[in-house]
Amino acid sequence: MSEEKRSVSVSGAGVIDGGSYSRVSISGAGKISGDLYAEELKMSGAGSVNGHCEVVHLTISGTGKFTKDVIADEMKVSGVAKVDGAVKVKELKCSGTFRAAESISSEYVKVSGMLHVGGDLESEIFRASGGFDVRGLLTADRIEIHPGGRCRAQEIGGAKIDVRRYGNRDRAGLLDSLMRALSSAWGGEVEAALIEGDEIYLESTRADVVRGKQIHIGPNCKIGLIEYSESLKVHDDSDVEKQTKI
Amino acid sequence: MEDEHLISKKDVLEKMGISYGQLYRWKRKGLIPEIWFIRRSTFTGQETFFPEDKIVERIERIKNMKGEHALDDLADVISEHVNAKIQIAFGKLKHLGWFDEDLGRAAGIVIVGNDDGTLSLRDALRLAVLKKLRRSARNEEIDLASRTLDDVIGKSGIDPSVVDGKTLHLFRKQLSGAGISAEISVIIVAGDKLTADPELNRIESVDLGGMLQQVKLDLAACCDSDASKNEGSVNQSDGREEHE
Repeated sequence: MSEEKRSVSVSGAGVIDGGSYSRVSISGAGKISGDLYAEELKMSGAGSVNGHCEVVHLTISGTGKFTKDVIADEMKVSGVAKVDGAVKVKELKCSGTFRAAESISSEYVKVSGMLHVGGDLESEIFRASGGFDVRGLLTADRIEIHPGGRCRAQEIGGAKIDVRRYGNRDRAGLLDSLMRALSSAWGGEVEAALIEGDEIYLESTRADVVRGKQIHIGPNCKIGLIEYSESLKVHDDSDVEKQTKI
Repeated sequence: MEDEHLISKKDVLEKMGISYGQLYRWKRKGLIPEIWFIRRSTFTGQETFFPEDKIVERIERIKNMKGEHALDDLADVISEHVNAKIQIAFGKLKHLGWFDEDLGRAAGIVIVGNDDGTLSLRDALRLAVLKKLRRSARNEEIDLASRTLDDVIGKSGIDPSVVDGKTLHLFRKQLSGAGISAEISVIIVAGDKLTADPELNRIESVDLGGMLQQVKLDLAACCDSDASKNEGSVNQSDGREEHE
């Protein structure tokens, strides 16, 4: 690289022109007008990017607004973020609130806050202990959900899908019992029109149709139709209207 | 569009011997186009259907790609990031059905050098479409189609969403009066439904989204066969050394 890229920080109120930067940090109220390319973008105040945003590390602990696509290796939202375009990241961690108007594609997604997706959410691994609302398809190779709020997707599909309340594993630690108490207080539940996978384990789930090879329905589920090709187990505390082996 | 025979997702899995995990993985990697997923409500609830011929052909092709490595290469080729930049040497492309250097020159695709020259994905798509048209189109119609494609896919790079679900049609219409007859040619790029007046004769139609997928798969197969050839030659030379 012939010239060194600048770093810039806004701690009062300011507008930065788009362009290539090394590090950009906004701790007051800052607006980036135009497309932004940077190694790092940190928003701990109120920030917005009016343009395409392509960065390596993106951290939002305040509020962040993006009018176009966001591309990043790592995206962390612990505040409030809103993206009007598509989101393409390698890793997404959301412990705050994140609204993506279009789709999200990632390799690893972890949600402990609340995630809203207007389109599809695609990942290799998806882990949620918070809540989510995916208007389209939620798909990942491995989907692990500890419903800690309202978890809704139009369709859920992947190889392995596991939905369980905290504390139902063998462990009975303090954290587990606390999480169990909290999640039942919030009434965490998964809702989907369709769930499809090879290995499916569900608790506290409402679905119209569940299709898969090996399906195990744990407690507190309400399922309209189950179609399975290899095995099916249903817990006594769950309600399945119809089941067929295909 | 013509009615295609549809097959349900669970029947695809059974027929092709694949899992939900694989199908969803391929969908995520963009190996199976979004528009092939046709969602319908049936008496058993929501079901997804596919155009049978297309999905069967595509899955066979994916299954034939050797190993996960090749699959990732293929996915890379298809991923939008690489799309704009992919360049493959002409030397490797010569055996492909849609590749035609003369047509490329005629369509104004700049071919640099000889076998080492490269082709962008955008030009590859143009070439494939024009090649298909040439079976029945005249030179001036090829030119017309080439200019229309430029408008549709833009000057640089390709955004798959621009061509997904779009079809390029070539129409001709006879005009006659006062003992003179003439024929005009029309190129139209349209989505799913297109209704034209009955006097317009459809000469050829090319599914652009499908063609783009096809081109990408061909290009990926090129990279793949190239890689395996290299491995082969390394092994051979090792063998020779042992004999000596």
